[in-house]
Amino acid sequence: MNGARWASSLLAAIGLAGLALSTASAETTQEKALYDAAKKEGAVSWYSGILDQPICDQVGKAFQAKYPGIQVSAIKTTSQVAFQRLLQDLKAGQVQSDVFTTTDIGHMMFLKSKDQLVKYVPENEAGMVDAVKNVDPDGYFHTSWVGISAIVYNTAKVKPADAPKDWPDLTDPRWKGQITFGSPNYSGMVGVWTVAMENRYGWDYFTKLNALDPQIGRSIDDAVTVLNSGERIVGMGNAASALRSAAKGNPLAVVYPSSGTLIVISPSAIIKGTPHPNAAKLFMEFLTGPDYSKILAANFEQPLRGDVAPAAGGKSLADMKPFAPTADQIEKQLPPNKAKWRDTFGM
Amino acid sequence: MTRRSLAPDLTGGDLAPVAKPAVATPAESAARPARRFVTLDPSTVIWVGATLLLVFMIVAPMARLLFSSFQSTETGQLTLENYVTAYGNLRRLVGLGNSLLYGAAVVLVATGFAVPLAWAVARTDMPAKGLVRATVLGAFITPSYLGAIGWILLAGPNAGWLNRLWMALTGAHAGIVNVYSFAGLVLVTALYAFPYIFVFTADALDRVSSEMEEAAHILGLSPFRTILRVTLPLVLPAILGGAIIVFLDTVALFGTPAVIALPARVNIMTLQLWQFFEFPVRAEAAAAYAVPLVLITIAMLALQRTILGRKGYVSLTGKGGGRSLMRLGRLRWAVLGFCFTVCALAVFLPYLALAQAAFSRAWGQGFSFANLTLGNFAYLFGEASSRQVILNTFIFSAATACLAVVLALIVAYVVGRRLVIGGGVLAGLCMAPLVVPGIVLAIGLYAVYSAPPLMLYGTAAILVLGFTTRFLPIAFANCTASLRSLNPEMEEAVRILGGSRFVAVRRVVVPLLKKSLIGTWLLVFIPASRELSTAIFLVAAKTRVISVMILDLSENGSFETLAALGFFLLGVTILIVLAGYRLVGRDFLLRKS
Repeated sequence: MNGARWASSLLAAIGLAGLALSTASAETTQEKALYDAAKKEGAVSWYSGILDQPICDQVGKAFQAKYPGIQVSAIKTTSQVAFQRLLQDLKAGQVQSDVFTTTDIGHMMFLKSKDQLVKYVPENEAGMVDAVKNVDPDGYFHTSWVGISAIVYNTAKVKPADAPKDWPDLTDPRWKGQITFGSPNYSGMVGVWTVAMENRYGWDYFTKLNALDPQIGRSIDDAVTVLNSGERIVGMGNAASALRSAAKGNPLAVVYPSSGTLIVISPSAIIKGTPHPNAAKLFMEFLTGPDYSKILAANFEQPLRGDVAPAAGGKSLADMKPFAPTADQIEKQLPPNKAKWRDTFGM
Repeated sequence: MTRRSLAPDLTGGDLAPVAKPAVATPAESAARPARRFVTLDPSTVIWVGATLLLVFMIVAPMARLLFSSFQSTETGQLTLENYVTAYGNLRRLVGLGNSLLYGAAVVLVATGFAVPLAWAVARTDMPAKGLVRATVLGAFITPSYLGAIGWILLAGPNAGWLNRLWMALTGAHAGIVNVYSFAGLVLVTALYAFPYIFVFTADALDRVSSEMEEAAHILGLSPFRTILRVTLPLVLPAILGGAIIVFLDTVALFGTPAVIALPARVNIMTLQLWQFFEFPVRAEAAAAYAVPLVLITIAMLALQRTILGRKGYVSLTGKGGGRSLMRLGRLRWAVLGFCFTVCALAVFLPYLALAQAAFSRAWGQGFSFANLTLGNFAYLFGEASSRQVILNTFIFSAATACLAVVLALIVAYVVGRRLVIGGGVLAGLCMAPLVVPGIVLAIGLYAVYSAPPLMLYGTAAILVLGFTTRFLPIAFANCTASLRSLNPEMEEAVRILGGSRFVAVRRVVVPLLKKSLIGTWLLVFIPASRELSTAIFLVAAKTRVISVMILDLSENGSFETLAALGFFLLGVTILIVLAGYRLVGRDFLLRKS
């Protein structure tokens, strides 16, 4: 299994390199002009609140292979830290990052309102799945990663036929003492989940969940650890971490809820005043293009384009009935939801 | 001439010759004072320089912290609104109260583990001392996140190994231990915090000569009472120093509470603090919430001063006391049993549970031969990037430890020997960074170090400086405790004979405290190697460290690799410690070493 994975990722890398060579000639004129201008800048730096450092490095390498002469420096931290650093940089008048990616769309709304973003609509966005296109009608920021909040369970302890099928199934009393999820006070993805569930089923949904004595972790990814340890057997979790862990042979499976899967969009934008504006635009093209989505799929993350197949065990965005609260809803409902959460669950 | 004859005698292992320099040539001692009028004493330059550096390293970010706590998030104007946000809520006040309780409980439990262990290792003929020492430091280097997960695997109420074992043995339907409780939180935290007190206390015990114990014995005190009335009181400054560090470290801890207190629904301060960094970010309110911690630190130091009072704690004099180990007889096995129990709780048991993950392809499958692999370790060394991360961590931590020991020794000396006015303020400053929650300190550090004129962002230097600021308190507390045990008469002898302060420190203080300084070095090196909150703010692509890698691995669910990394850290630490103690040799008060 492990050997096969190594081999397949190696093949994927070779494939990517080949693809880079073949697409190099198929550049559009706009892309070519951007590349020429970007080459003069020679570098692009990326503050990433998404993925992990090795995957961010893969993205950087693939970009460098496709556009020789432009060095990528990718720094992965948490979105909160990346945002704090960005704010400090802006305060000091020293923009260190050309492209900023965050899991919290609120960061982008804030930067946009302060006029700190560059408006740019990548040509490649046209090829992305509809559900993740045009997150900002004004074209300042664009989807770079989609968090998939789904139902996850331990296959050694729950038969596929017995697993919850839809969101309301999680509140079934038979999961008493057996269910786990994160907290909106520490995880943006869980926060969006509270908004989505409240809008569909009312806050009562969480009162019912509390009656089941859930184990509440911090991040949305904690569910995978808790389920693997056998401490709890069903939960709400991040599909990508669950698929990655399942691919190693762990007893985990993902259920995409029948009424629709919750997606959380993480956007990227170009920061105003960057020293590498053209390289930043080219990088935005790359993040919306197929090569990047292939890297995502190879790492069990959700590809953003219809022309790239998802990882084994996953579903394509078009097939999972994706839904998401609007940015306005999140902005309005999330802060009171955090307070309501503390009242309901006591933490 | 004089100085040359002094050095080898002191480092050579005998204290008696301290009086030897009396043979200084008359010409030399006459020339010295005259020269000092003309040229500036080099030692003055050194400590003025060190103090200035310290002021910059600590005062700059701390002042920024204090200032921003009075600043409006939106407008930057002066305001008290952050304090209202931070404290105008019962839940936050309860969190603060719980944190103080948590800190106090951890100190009690950790002292209960550490002091007997330190005594057994330093003062008795108990066997397997090297292994106990190495295991204690193994517990120390275990990232709190990993230790906590190990304990969840052991004592999770549903699937914990200990509970399953209990249920299998007794046929009971429920387990007996639940890690998700306040008691569980305290125990797990204490298991990875007690090494602070252990190292402080063991170092101090190593320096106590047997004279006073023998005197007590001759006067008819039983061995047990001798320990209580003579030995332990002599090392009280060290125990208190360690306890204060544990208290402050616990109150500011995030890793273990995030994994245990949150599911246990125990509300503590750092969990509240983290929420200020969710959008909309209120870093200023976080700063306001952190300011009382600085006040608490100052209160702790005042308390320490009151407890220690003006009593004498000098255990190292120029009179060359010998030291003998206490013969425990059969009791040694009981003592060893206690030490091994603590080691088992802190290291053997949790790592046994983690081993299942570290050596598995898929840890959720449980143990089977088909599931065994070394692939997780191969990944750690196979990837150039993870090799770089490991190398970075050890280099940065070692540089931090060296810088912190030098600075702390200088400042502890300046304060301890009352060479400057306002030494108490300086001491308070030195202790403050530990208690300021890492993420808050990190913002201050990032603001100061990455902006002009320093522009250190992206360099290794910013990490080393950041770590040094963060862990200077530990080095300072240990140096202060060590200096208390050193009789100033020995340095005065050097001064009387015409040596400068610099010579006194270099030729007397450093050699005498050699072992303690190595202990201090480790006390900084280890937490630096596992530090996350400052690191995450200061790393760049090429300067990543293990703690940041651990966060990445935990976020993407790669628990197998994470556990393997934990094992690697444990193995390396044990090797370094065993090699270190062999190199330094045994304590020089043991004359036959």
